[in-house]
Amino acid sequence: MHLKVDVPVSVIFVYEPNGAKVFPLKVRWDGRVYTITKVGLHHHFRVGRVLHHVFSVVSDETFFRLNLNTDNLSWRLEEVSDGLPD
Amino acid sequence: MDSQTKFIYNQINLPFNPKPPTLMHIDLNSCFATIEQQANPLLRGRPIAVVAYDSPRGCILAPSIEAKKMGVKTGMQVREGKLLCPSLQTLEPDPWKYRNIHIQLRDLISQYTTCFSPKSIDEFILDLEGFPSFKLGMHQIGLEIKQKIKAQIGEWLTVSIGIGPNRFLAKLAANLKKPDGLEEINQKNYQQIYQKLSLIDLNGIKTASAIRLNNAGIYSINDFYNSTIDQLQSAFESILGYYWYLRLRGWEIDDVDFGRKSFGNMYSLPKIISTPEGISPILHKLVEKCSFRMRRAGYSARGVHVALLYKDHSFWHHGSVNHEPLFSASDIYKYAYRIMVSSPYRKPVANISVSLFDLTKSNFSQLDLFNEISKKIKLTSAIDKINEKWGNFVITPAMMIGTQNNVVDRVAFGNIKELEQFICTE
Repeated sequence: MHLKVDVPVSVIFVYEPNGAKVFPLKVRWDGRVYTITKVGLHHHFRVGRVLHHVFSVVSDETFFRLNLNTDNLSWRLEEVSDGLPD
Repeated sequence: MDSQTKFIYNQINLPFNPKPPTLMHIDLNSCFATIEQQANPLLRGRPIAVVAYDSPRGCILAPSIEAKKMGVKTGMQVREGKLLCPSLQTLEPDPWKYRNIHIQLRDLISQYTTCFSPKSIDEFILDLEGFPSFKLGMHQIGLEIKQKIKAQIGEWLTVSIGIGPNRFLAKLAANLKKPDGLEEINQKNYQQIYQKLSLIDLNGIKTASAIRLNNAGIYSINDFYNSTIDQLQSAFESILGYYWYLRLRGWEIDDVDFGRKSFGNMYSLPKIISTPEGISPILHKLVEKCSFRMRRAGYSARGVHVALLYKDHSFWHHGSVNHEPLFSASDIYKYAYRIMVSSPYRKPVANISVSLFDLTKSNFSQLDLFNEISKKIKLTSAIDKINEKWGNFVITPAMMIGTQNNVVDRVAFGNIKELEQFICTE
């Protein structure tokens, strides 16, 4: 199941100075807190001048696409998937 | 060919290039699909495909390695892919993911040589001749690049690397083993490798060229290699014969940078539209997109070309050259619309494309004498700046209302000139 959504979410975000790594640690969505177990990919793009950072992450058996808008520092959940065909 | 040139060609008897191979071709395996699997670890090891549109008739752009093993191929329709592989999972393209990986690959490669060029979003050619890294040995560099890709970019990404004395053979070597290959074609093994391959395994030889060669008595790559320039010129009826003579012997002939010739955008219509009035908003959006790209690259165009592919698979196209260079979307749209309505057919359209050609580098300051043109330049420039600041199509012509979900961002397979411009402006 692959779901496209566009909802604001709460994210705990970590900066690790050793190796200058940044990654989301926890995400709260739909009343539940998910601990991120793996960051698959981090990429960025611009909409106009606004820089967006996208983190494709996994919490056990759930995939999340999280978008950080660096203009207003808001997080939005854009995709959720369990990796299985629809 | 005159008799003197023919005489000179017949005297040429080149051996295979004896220089040590210094060219490396890097090809990211199943690029779009592998990157999607990198992003979403739950998709790894599963048959997936990146598709142009997620509908039964949508075109498969990139099947994953697992889907390829089930017979799914690029260019198939989604429904054909699902017949071969019912568990096939389809995803729409996410161009910025692929562009980011391309840029990271580019950064990694630049640690070894500054003499490299991207051939497409997923392919690079490197020349290591004279660079300190060459002392490591080509094979060792290939292994290191593979390891660094996994460690620094993504552990799921694999590349096929080919090493050769020229660009053509480096690419051929990269195609020898997929995925995750590291192969070399050199003076010692070329005959052995040529023996295992057929004519259409050569990049640039498709069925039509193979038939031409067959008609000239050339049936294998060894026949091809052993032919004289004269025989090859006769087979191809052009200078191509000479180029192939050099390519197969490992001499460089493909180190050519083709400059920007045109800007174009294409769109497959999701529903049947037959009338010019119905198609015009899409045409307008296509013109807005390609003219914006053209202006951002600093060009104006005299030529406009419109092509229509109809639902019944018939095709109509027409191009026209204006006496003055065009740069504003509104002028180009008027021109393109006139071309489109000159089509004698009023049939359902499946696909429409617009391209701008006969490009000239714009030097708008020279036109400042003409007040009207100056006003138009200022207006166009102001709109472009607003769209650049707030995102494309913040300001759009009323004609484009209702086209928000049409002509979405796509990444070209072959042409990465746009990406080069993006890298320069970042």
